[in-house]
Amino acid sequence: MKKKVFTRFTAILFLIGLMTAIQYNTINEPDRRDTRDVWEVRQELSREKKLHSQLLSEIGTLDETLNKYNIAADESPEQALRETAGELRVAVGLAETTGPGFEVLVEPSMEAVALGLAIEGISPDLLIRLVNEINRYDALYVSIDGKRIINTTSIRDINGQTSVNAKPVETPPFSIKIISKSMDDAEKLYNHLLASRILDDFYIDNMSLAVSVPQSDMVIEAYDGIIDTKYLQAIEGE
Amino acid sequence: MWLSILGLLLGISLGLLTDMQIPPEYANYLSIAVLASLDTLFGGIRAHLQQVYDDKVFVSGFFFNIALAAGLAFLGVHLGVDLYLAAIFAFGVRLFQNIAVIRRIILAKWAEKKEVRETI
Repeated sequence: MKKKVFTRFTAILFLIGLMTAIQYNTINEPDRRDTRDVWEVRQELSREKKLHSQLLSEIGTLDETLNKYNIAADESPEQALRETAGELRVAVGLAETTGPGFEVLVEPSMEAVALGLAIEGISPDLLIRLVNEINRYDALYVSIDGKRIINTTSIRDINGQTSVNAKPVETPPFSIKIISKSMDDAEKLYNHLLASRILDDFYIDNMSLAVSVPQSDMVIEAYDGIIDTKYLQAIEGE
Repeated sequence: MWLSILGLLLGISLGLLTDMQIPPEYANYLSIAVLASLDTLFGGIRAHLQQVYDDKVFVSGFFFNIALAAGLAFLGVHLGVDLYLAAIFAFGVRLFQNIAVIRRIILAKWAEKKEVRETI
């Protein structure tokens, strides 16, 4: 009888031990291992470094503004404010801007003209691809067919017509103006566009891109609409 | 007695060596099952010491307790009420009561033995 009791106890204790060990294993699951190789770590590092330098340059700009305020505070605070407002208007796109850049002419391709095909307007998808391609190489300001691209610009199909800022884009030819940070950047973008695969995409739609040589005094029109700030709120505090 | 401890060690080492794991969402159920089996075990030891041990009660109690506790926990998860706390509470209280009874019985036996030795 006694032996039977202990056999039972042994079986129960075995089960308890097993369950406790499984519970322990489950709860003390080791942290996920870092399996990135050197190359991935380097990429991560370069991303972080880029962010770092971007933040540093932003701090530099803000410091400069602060200095300007300090210097101008004694002389004319209004002037400093006016300058800042002017800079902000340029950054947002409410002012006509001049800078190093170039023009891209979207035309019907020669084959389409020779074959007498009907010339159709550019599709929104293709236009968005082109704008993305341009922005990838650090373009500062862009206007499409005289319509300035700002942060809230939409490129979409409205009643069968491709529209930018809700205004229709003409059928080709029309021009796209681009301004970069510097002449170097403008040339980089120019070379990139000349060799880009987007040319093939345009060719499929019976269009071609004529990229003009960068010039130092490209003029881009101001945004002519009203920027709706209904949902913006002032930050409280400082 | 040593056989029982051997069983416990065997269970722990088997669990640790095979590195068995269950999905984390079932960890609650397993902890309740451990508690239920501990409760059954101490209940069994107490019954054995009080000479009222019944094999059927012991074995059925083990499985029934575990099933009831897991069922309560399952129901609790689906009702959004932490019902498994009820099981933990019940098992916890009974565990302490059983251990207290076992302690008293062992102490009484020990005192008895001492008395017998002194009279000799």
